[in-house]
Amino acid sequence: MKCFSRYLPYIFRPPSSLLSSSCHTEADIISTVEFNPTGELLATGDKGGRVVVFQREQESKNHPHRRGEYNVYSTFQSHEPEFDYLKSLEIEEKINKIRWLPQQNAAYFLLSTNDKTVKLWKISERDKRPEGYNLKDEDGRIRDPTTITALRVPVLRPMDLMVEATPRRIFSNAHTYHINSISVNSDYETYMSTDDLRINLWNLEITNRSFNIVDIKPANMEELTEVITAAEFHPNQCNTFVYSSSKGSIRLCDMRTSALCDNHSKLFEEPEDPSNRSFFSEIISSISDVKFSHSGRYLMTRDYLTVKVWDVNMESKPLETYQVHDYLRSKLCSLYENDCIFDKFECVWNGTDSVLMTGSYNNFFRMFDRNTKRDVTLEASRENSKPRAILKPRKVCVGGKRRKDEISVDSLDFSKKILHTAWHPYENIIAVAATNNLYIFQDKVN
Amino acid sequence: MVAKGQKRKLLEGRGGAWESQLQSVLDISMEKFHRDQALVEPSLLRSVLISNTLRQVQSEVRAQVESLSSVKMPSKPQTHSGLEPDFPSGSPSSTEHNAPLFSLNDENSNTEEDVMAWTSEEDFSLSSAISVILKDLDTVIDAGQGPPRAPLGSVENLTGDARHTQYPPSSSRTERASNVVPSVKSEAACLGCPQDVVLEKLLLDIDTSVFEPEVNLLQGFSVTADDLVKYLPSLSKSPSASSSSSSSSHGQATWEIQEIEHVMDILMRTYPQS
Repeated sequence: MKCFSRYLPYIFRPPSSLLSSSCHTEADIISTVEFNPTGELLATGDKGGRVVVFQREQESKNHPHRRGEYNVYSTFQSHEPEFDYLKSLEIEEKINKIRWLPQQNAAYFLLSTNDKTVKLWKISERDKRPEGYNLKDEDGRIRDPTTITALRVPVLRPMDLMVEATPRRIFSNAHTYHINSISVNSDYETYMSTDDLRINLWNLEITNRSFNIVDIKPANMEELTEVITAAEFHPNQCNTFVYSSSKGSIRLCDMRTSALCDNHSKLFEEPEDPSNRSFFSEIISSISDVKFSHSGRYLMTRDYLTVKVWDVNMESKPLETYQVHDYLRSKLCSLYENDCIFDKFECVWNGTDSVLMTGSYNNFFRMFDRNTKRDVTLEASRENSKPRAILKPRKVCVGGKRRKDEISVDSLDFSKKILHTAWHPYENIIAVAATNNLYIFQDKVN
Repeated sequence: MVAKGQKRKLLEGRGGAWESQLQSVLDISMEKFHRDQALVEPSLLRSVLISNTLRQVQSEVRAQVESLSSVKMPSKPQTHSGLEPDFPSGSPSSTEHNAPLFSLNDENSNTEEDVMAWTSEEDFSLSSAISVILKDLDTVIDAGQGPPRAPLGSVENLTGDARHTQYPPSSSRTERASNVVPSVKSEAACLGCPQDVVLEKLLLDIDTSVFEPEVNLLQGFSVTADDLVKYLPSLSKSPSASSSSSSSSHGQATWEIQEIEHVMDILMRTYPQS
């Protein structure tokens, strides 16, 4: 597949950051990346509660080589740190997820969430402003009424484009535990927010009420052995959603069956391979992300070492399993010790559901072609990617002789992890978040 | 019944590497648990995964102990001289008081008895290592329920989740009291069991034929575990203290040890040493 080998890197950093890339503040760490449904906009959220939205340059005859370049469109502070006085807990402002709503008018809408509160933001452009008010002058100062001798009608005059973001809805106080996912329903009227033990259904218009549709909290918290890790609505069927658990199972629920979807319609679970059993089997089976394919026929799940594709009609075992970094299997004890085993990697489909992408360590990310069964490892790094250079496939050497370009497992930098990636809905453009840097790669089509 | 030689071979094959990994997983898990306890709000996912790992370690160790004990001890010992309670006056190795609600069943305590009786035989180092691990696990697993519980204790009480505002006070206090006990000696590990199990076991262990001429004493002695538990003033305390359980203290530990000692004194006094 030619897109594997030909990518052009563009490197962006949050515009407010004045620090060089080698040292960065904690607040600049990107925590979520998401394209909007048309691919025109790309939103990133960071640990400091900021959202930065990039917009794709329109094609222009004057600058043909700049087609597809993403530039900063809007930056706003979505969430602030809060203090819950009742429980003496600080609520982090880190943006856990951003989800775009489909565009219905000139403005763009997105949902962004931190651990406790979901906000609906409206991003709109203003390129005209009214001039010629009667009661105040151009600076906004109130005019002396005695100086007003004539009435005039204010006119709209063009101004420099201003993009403003306003919070339109704030959905709060519905989650006791930390929100890990949000998903917009295909009816475009509702969405769901998921925390460790509960899933709530909201109407986008109503902020003071939400419906609980899944609750796995045991009556006795000491019996808690499983939590919800992610959830998503079906892309076409507005009554269907899935949620994944820390024990490696995925449950598909139909909201038509009952108001409370504690009983699943389908349970996707793969029996454990006894030969691979270890103390860490359960931890590495915990699913960190679940995504429906664009068609809705398949599900993709990411656990610590693999990506699995499931057929929605077959619950007994996955259709395909791809090894992301199996060389880590023998290092699980150290990864448990340094907490890396708890890292939550995301996974994404390409627009045609033929390629999967997910991140790894050392700023590596992996792509799997479902048709050709080929896979590739690429690196998102400033040093290795000059602008417009083609990304070179990387390889991790597992043992024995290390070739010149290979990197050995022990040399991997586990602090450089790619947890968040996004794929343009139609084109071969990908966004990869590497700590505080956002890389946008695109397939060069000649 | 598996042949002795075969079982032994199996164990030795697993032996060193398995044991060292077991120990390191246990150490790391305990360290993480302690670190998470210090946080105001540890991640629920992380806590659940760590406590599940600890449970798995515990069950693996128990499975090993059972397989070993079934090989070495074809018959369970009738007397339990090793069971004479010998409470250290010092503080226990673990001062976890948070949520000791992992209940151990009788089968496990029998297994631990076997371990104790068997320590005098060969493979002393292995068995004592397993005993130490088991004892550690008893305290840790019980406290391992802490992470889902301690931060949520306040949440539960304050967010109006009416169903879960209070944990059953008697059982929590019971097991909290007994949780502190296992410290140094391997036999003390048995007493990490819920207190009613401990007491019932002790009562059963006593050779009742000794008491027949002393009917009065026996009658006075045949109290149920629940009754004895009432002797402990801690049980009547309000459960609101459980919310602040995250602040563990040595003082509370030694106080609870003294309560246990008090109960044991009552038991000891009611039948004279022969």
